[in-house]
Amino acid sequence: MLSFILLNAGIFTGRMGKIKVAVIGCGFIATAEHLPSFKQLEDVEITAVVDIIEERARKAAETFKVSKWYTDYTKVIEMKDIDVVDVCTPTYTHCEITVAALKSGKHVVCEKPIALKLKEADEMINTAKKEGLKFMVAHCLRFWPEYVRVKDLVESGAIGEPRIARAYRQSSFPAWAPWHKKLEMGGGVFIDMSIHDVDFLRWVLGEVEEVYAQGGVLLYKDSTAPDYVHALLKFKSGAIAYVEGSWIMPEGFPFTTYLEIAGTKGLLTVDNHYTASLKVFKKNSCADYTPQTEDAYFLELKHFIECVKEDKEPLVTGEEAKKTLEVVLAALKSLKEGRPVKLPLSEEVIP
Amino acid sequence: MKVYRFAILSFAHIHAWSYARVLKELPNAELVAIYDDNPERLAKAAEIYKVDKKYSDYYKLLEKEDIDAVIVASENAKHHDLVIAAAEHGKHIICEKPLATTLKDADEMVEAAKKHGVKLQTAFVMRYHETTVEVKRLIDRGEIGEILVITTTNHGKYPGLWFADPKLAGGGAVMDHTVHTADLMRWYTGDEAETVYAKIGVNIRPELPSEDNALILLKFRKGVLGSIDCSWSRPDNWPIWGDVYLGIFGTEGYILVDAFRSCITLASKRETLKWVYFGPDCDKEMIRDFIKCIEEDKEPRASGWDGRQALEIALAAYESHKKGEPVKLPLSY
Repeated sequence: MLSFILLNAGIFTGRMGKIKVAVIGCGFIATAEHLPSFKQLEDVEITAVVDIIEERARKAAETFKVSKWYTDYTKVIEMKDIDVVDVCTPTYTHCEITVAALKSGKHVVCEKPIALKLKEADEMINTAKKEGLKFMVAHCLRFWPEYVRVKDLVESGAIGEPRIARAYRQSSFPAWAPWHKKLEMGGGVFIDMSIHDVDFLRWVLGEVEEVYAQGGVLLYKDSTAPDYVHALLKFKSGAIAYVEGSWIMPEGFPFTTYLEIAGTKGLLTVDNHYTASLKVFKKNSCADYTPQTEDAYFLELKHFIECVKEDKEPLVTGEEAKKTLEVVLAALKSLKEGRPVKLPLSEEVIP
Repeated sequence: MKVYRFAILSFAHIHAWSYARVLKELPNAELVAIYDDNPERLAKAAEIYKVDKKYSDYYKLLEKEDIDAVIVASENAKHHDLVIAAAEHGKHIICEKPLATTLKDADEMVEAAKKHGVKLQTAFVMRYHETTVEVKRLIDRGEIGEILVITTTNHGKYPGLWFADPKLAGGGAVMDHTVHTADLMRWYTGDEAETVYAKIGVNIRPELPSEDNALILLKFRKGVLGSIDCSWSRPDNWPIWGDVYLGIFGTEGYILVDAFRSCITLASKRETLKWVYFGPDCDKEMIRDFIKCIEEDKEPRASGWDGRQALEIALAAYESHKKGEPVKLPLSY
């Protein structure tokens, strides 16, 4: 198996130097972040794009000068000259597409959350292992410059032993993706959005032991997926954290994230409006951010391509992503049952 | 204009010094006498505020002095005896928060005030801070529709003194910092908490005998969700003492409050970076309003009962942490 992997890697780099990528799903994250980032990577060639909506697939192909576009992802699975498949589809489709791509010999980078079911996550992890291929889940905070800086600071002992953390993530309802209203498709705000903060906190503070959560469908009554959740996390280290995910902000609300970690020797806070180096005001809107030539999405995809080329283990493995998934699912279980939930989970939360 | 004659019973709580300043500043108030069981503190306060009548026995003060009202700012566990004695002597009372350290004490205090026909106001200064008062107006006007969630923090530095001594304070950060925003939630929703869940963390300062960080989640009877971070998680060299932060999520809008953010940034040869506050003087507003309540014979905006109800939330947080599960209110004792 090992020799096969090495041989495989050798073929990629030796054959043409460029890694051939297919992006499946041409919604927000693909067109706003992944496709532009791949475009920026010199050793990548975007070979095909896929979207079940023809218009979206064609437009993405046009914008990013991709020669092939399809409305059926299996077309890409059948192609022999694709090295990497980037799965940017709604969460409930991640497992099927990822497994199919892996089985056809393609490395896979898949948007977060890994899946909504633990057994699906297992299938994805096991398939990657069995096929000897790279599999990464795109938890972008692990590449987000200010969050990476926080991780470095904590590791350097700047705040001593971490004890208590707070993390918020707030936006108006992501109306551009109606599947977010279906529990069995996206899982709701905590599964889809707070998963970022939970994954980051796990990365910095270690494993979570217990979760208690409140929330549910507070505002969008036509939805079956929670639009507001806040949770208390207890870590094995003894640290505790408050994590809040909200999709109930008023329309036009500027996307807001906040993180603080207090430790035995100090306190760190990161507020995305406070750290922004740029504010753009337009009629009825204000956007603030810190532009970077190598932003989180670029760094994340660059890292994955490197892992493929150099046969390295990706920073966010399937196993890591599954552990993060378990925590957010535990929150969902807790708010349903009204009591704290211990990890690991013994059964599925979303049927 | 009637000038109201006040005594301050104990300067143990750091707020006492600010209340004394306010009594000096208000035209219709006068600081007549002070009591403290710590002789050094008594002498210091007498000197700073130029008060001749100083007592180490509060009973004597209440017997001898012609006063209208007292401000009780002792250690939390001593509030009860001072408030009961003041009520028995017919004095109106402002009592520092938390009102008491047990529900039994709190109930006896509320009962004594009622029995003796005196005002009992809990020093929930945030009900008198112009920012948080404006929030009440916005909510009552329906500016953000129905309230769904109130997320709050009342962070601080470790206040030192007796604040982490379980016997005098009744606990640590949970006892000290839960009640302000718990009270604001009750005030804004007009509702009572139904369940409380809390986790106390491992101490940031392991040398303290009480907790210095904790997180609390609450559910109100009509369904509003709440959260409180009451931690003394600010290091000693943080540029401001702490914060009162509220995120109020409504069906029609969102209100974000950082009540003490109105900070001027200062760095100098003497100081590292500091945020200098210039916002409203809520201690002054609180005492001004208290005098008005006496004059107009009205129930204080933050009553003894409000103090009792907020204390119950703090006590429920301790109980929930101990049990590892959410606790239903009301608590029994």
